[in-house]
Order: sequence, then C-alpha cells, then structure tokens
Amino acid sequence: MPSYKLSYFNARGVAEVSRLIFAVAGEKFEDVRYERDQWPAHKDEMPLGQMPVLEVDGVKLPQSAAIARFLAKQFHLAGKDNFEQAQVDAVVDTIYDILKAWMPSRLEQDEAKKEALSKKFFGEELPKHLQNLETLGKLYSNGGHFFVGKQLTWADLLFYNFGQLLTEFEADCLNNFSWLQKNRAEVEKQPKIAEYLKNRPRTQF
Amino acid sequence: MPSYKLTYFNGRGRAEVSRLIFAVAGEKFEDVRYEMDQWPAHKAEMPLGQIPVLEVDGVKLPQSAAIARFLAKQFHLAGKDNFEQAKVDAVVDTIDDSFKGFVPTRFEKDEAKKEELTKKYFGEELPKHLQNLETLGKLYGNGGHFFVGNQLTWADLLFYTFAQAWIGVEADCLNNFSWLKKNRAEVEKQPKIAEYLKNRPQTQF
Repeated sequence: MPSYKLSYFNARGVAEVSRLIFAVAGEKFEDVRYERDQWPAHKDEMPLGQMPVLEVDGVKLPQSAAIARFLAKQFHLAGKDNFEQAQVDAVVDTIYDILKAWMPSRLEQDEAKKEALSKKFFGEELPKHLQNLETLGKLYSNGGHFFVGKQLTWADLLFYNFGQLLTEFEADCLNNFSWLQKNRAEVEKQPKIAEYLKNRPRTQF
Repeated sequence: MPSYKLTYFNGRGRAEVSRLIFAVAGEKFEDVRYEMDQWPAHKAEMPLGQIPVLEVDGVKLPQSAAIARFLAKQFHLAGKDNFEQAKVDAVVDTIDDSFKGFVPTRFEKDEAKKEELTKKYFGEELPKHLQNLETLGKLYGNGGHFFVGNQLTWADLLFYTFAQAWIGVEADCLNNFSWLKKNRAEVEKQPKIAEYLKNRPQTQF
C-alpha cells in the first residue's frame, strides 16, 4: 500500500478533485494545507515551485491534472478501458478549457477591465463551453447521468468542483444546462461524497 | 485491430504528436488534412466544432492531449506503469504550460505589439518553463536522455514537435538548455522518427 501526501493551499482550487477521489475511494492520505503566509517557506521543496504536489512513497509529482488522473487510475475512477479513459480525458480537457478561459478575468487587477472580462466570460464564453460539455456527456454517457459509460469517473468529480466555483461567482450560470445540473446532483447523492461534503473544511475558494 | 482516422488542418500543430506516435509504433491510420478554406464545411461534423479529432471504429474523440495519450497507451509509449504514466503526464502538462504563452504572439495582428509580445515570451516566459522541464527530466529521467524512465514516451515526442515551432521563430531558444537539446537529438535519431521526418509533408505550421 503506497503512502500518499497531497500538498496544497488551504483551499479547494485545483487540488479538490484529488481530495474527492480519495474520499470516493475511501483511501487515506496526508492532506497538507498551507496558509498563504506559510507557503513561501515551502516553495523550494516543490519540483516546479508550485502546488499541488502529490508525494507517493517519497517521490514528488506536480501538476494537478496528472495527480488526479494518477489517483483516479489507482482507484478505478478513470474509465474501464483505454478508450473510455480517453473519453474521460476529453471531458476533463474541456472542463479545463473553461478554467483557462476564466483566468484572465480572475487575474485582472483593474476593476473596470475585470468586470468587462467577467461579463464576457459568463455571458458568451462559458455558455459555449458548457454546451460542449453537454454534447460530450450525451455522446459518451450511454444515456446515464455520468459523463462516461454510466459510471462515476473523475470527470464528474472535476466538473462537480468547478461547477461549485462557477456558481459561487454567478449563481445562475448552469440554469440553461439541465443535463449538467442533473450530473452534479447525481454526484452529490453518492454516499461517500455526501459524507465528505458535509465534513470538509469551509474555504473561500 | 481498430481503424483510426485522424482529422486536422494540413499542418503539424496540435496533431503532429499523434502522427509521430503512429510513426514510432509503425501503425496505419487515415491522415485527413483540411486546408483552411475546406475546414468550415466540416466543422459541424466534429463534436466540439474543433480539430484534431480521432475517430476509432467510428467513435469520435476530440481534444489533442486526450487523443495523444490514448494512442500512446495503445502503442506502449505512455510509461510502463501508472506512476510512470503520471510522470509523463506531468511533463506533458508542463510542456503545455510552456506553449500557452506562444499562441497569442503568433496571432497578434499589430506588428509592433507582436514584436513586443514575442520578445517578452522568448526573453522571460519561455526560459522559466524550459528550466522546469529540465528539472523534471533530471528528476524522472533515471540519468538518461528521455524525460521518463529511460524510454521514449509521448512526452519526448510532444516536446520535440512544440520546440520545433519555437525554434522556427527564435533559433537560439534552447541554447542554454543542453539537457533539452540532447533530448531532441535523441528523439530524431530514432530510426522510425528519422524516416518519418524525412518524408512528412513540409507545412507552414
């Protein structure tokens, strides 16, 4: 049994999908969380000076998507064969496309510019990406509520997490996307996930 | 034996890593290439209205990284176990991070702005990412020239093809990165790759 240590900020962010994977799998891990002022002292310990980092039996792995995919494969949440795993990866990449499109408005310092970028993101860009996700869900889900193959995979967990973040900023943003809303409802009904969501730390993002 | 059809523009771009994987594996595929004026007629055929798309026995898969990882796993170029595959994924994500800032410099229409963005990218941004890639290569390369585990994986093929795009704009960009230069030299020495590079179409991008 390998030992797992996940290091990140005290936040959900891009590490939360991995915490959800551990929770669904019922697997133990060391959940290291740094506050903003603690992080500089540890930056040099990380291969790329960034987090999250997963340490597996002492070997460090950076990059949140690589970490989550590794854990999903370890715990049978990645898709049941190579082609299903590819479908999961395609959904995952489409979810990360949303995050990439959102970043400029999140990082913009000028308030007026930030508001304009945010309006454009939520008004024009996000709906296109959400439409793409519904297209893939309907293409790969075999008629079920999960993105791929009638089973919970890390694609559902990743969308669950980012869906929460998006609705925290814009409560109505999923209103026109009933397939995606049903998908998230199905995820939070899973007993191990419901339990985890009830007990996890409350953080700003 | 599945049938494979890869659809993209008539260019290297985000599909070339998959073409390299087929070449190394010695596997046949239908290599569909659209010129810019042909593409609009086919856009609606693609799940997300984008290319590349890989069709496997008639089922379509979008997203260039998902496609490449699927093919790499099919043909044993993805890493020999789950953790090695995770290291390969971490390198791939870091290569992708390196390439993100490059795209805006290519599409900027204002000549003065384009020159400024390009200078900033090659002068400040890219070197940081290349340093990160050398860090991972030395961490995971087991003392060899390939990124992970002393074996050619799709991480090496992806770096090979994206670096060619950078070198096309800034010939000296790898001069301070001898590990990465050796890695690319090792890739192009592989007989199947040398053969493929000699015979592939010469395209603008």
